[in-house]
Amino acid sequence: MQPDDLSRALGPKLGDGLLSVEAFPGTAGRVRFRAERALDLFRAVRDDLHFGHLSMVGGIDWVDHREVFYVAWSDEARQYVFLSADVPATAPRIESASAVWPSANWHERETWEMVGITFENHPDLRHLLMPDGYVFNPLLRSFKLHEPEELEVKARHV
Amino acid sequence: MTTPTVQLAPPKPAAKDGFELAGELPMATQAAVPFIEIETLRAKEFLPAAREALTSLIAEQGQAKVIRPVFNWAGRNSLFPLHWGLACCAIEFAAAFGARWDAERFGVVPRSSPRQCDLMIVNGTVTWKVAHKLITLYEQMPEPKWVIAMGNCATGGGPFRTAYSVVPGVDKLVPVDVYIAGCPPRPEAMLDGILKLEELIRERKE
Repeated sequence: MQPDDLSRALGPKLGDGLLSVEAFPGTAGRVRFRAERALDLFRAVRDDLHFGHLSMVGGIDWVDHREVFYVAWSDEARQYVFLSADVPATAPRIESASAVWPSANWHERETWEMVGITFENHPDLRHLLMPDGYVFNPLLRSFKLHEPEELEVKARHV
Repeated sequence: MTTPTVQLAPPKPAAKDGFELAGELPMATQAAVPFIEIETLRAKEFLPAAREALTSLIAEQGQAKVIRPVFNWAGRNSLFPLHWGLACCAIEFAAAFGARWDAERFGVVPRSSPRQCDLMIVNGTVTWKVAHKLITLYEQMPEPKWVIAMGNCATGGGPFRTAYSVVPGVDKLVPVDVYIAGCPPRPEAMLDGILKLEELIRERKE
């Protein structure tokens, strides 16, 4: 599967929700889409293109905005596809993929606590790796590595 | 007490091919005072004398001075650590109880329930996520109890000291008696730490 195949299949369904499809090494392509149309894209990628397995979800802090990316695997094409959407840093929200791929559940919990991206309509959005009540997003670039004493004071919030 | 009744030996079995069974086993033919009654007699003589000696010693030196060394001796020779592992130090912890190092020589037997333990060996990186569980386990242990911080991570966070998820030293959570350096410490080092703790218990006063 090539990037052209992806844009041919997804273009009619998403319209202007599809921003671009680029070649991405090791995958069928990198699909950039508008965050508002996330659920439509997930359904199209799973049902029309048969990417049945969501391999990972992650987030990147680009300081002026944040990026959510999804890696899905197709058993038929034996290829990955890379989906990514930009969300504003002031309101980092996107629809949860758990309704389409249930394996997104824990990945989105991790992305939520590490990069601070809220996944709407997530069935169980709570901390995965950090204790309940942890108030920081450690993988944001604004988070500084602290001296242990300072971190200890911060952890008293826990 | 009843006087021991003399029991007659059973009749000799017939000699078979020139071999007599009873000849080989002299006890079987002799009537004897049962062993248990001899011990009862000895205890009856010994116990009052021992009680009198101990009472006079306590009256002379004070109870703490006489009983405390006995408790310390028993305690330091039967340290039961909690059988758990947090990270790679737990591999060395496990090896210390294997055939080669055999920590049971020192009476150290890992127990699976904190309520049966008096020693917690924190063997690995303590994260904030596990901190609550560690404190709960420590509080479940009966007094008196001791904590050994095994390895660099438990001592001071180790290479993850500034990480966002790691407790920089388990002494931020529970009082630690002995620190063992190493990444990870060898089983010999762990046994040395236990022997250091035994020295601490030997000096215990209260």
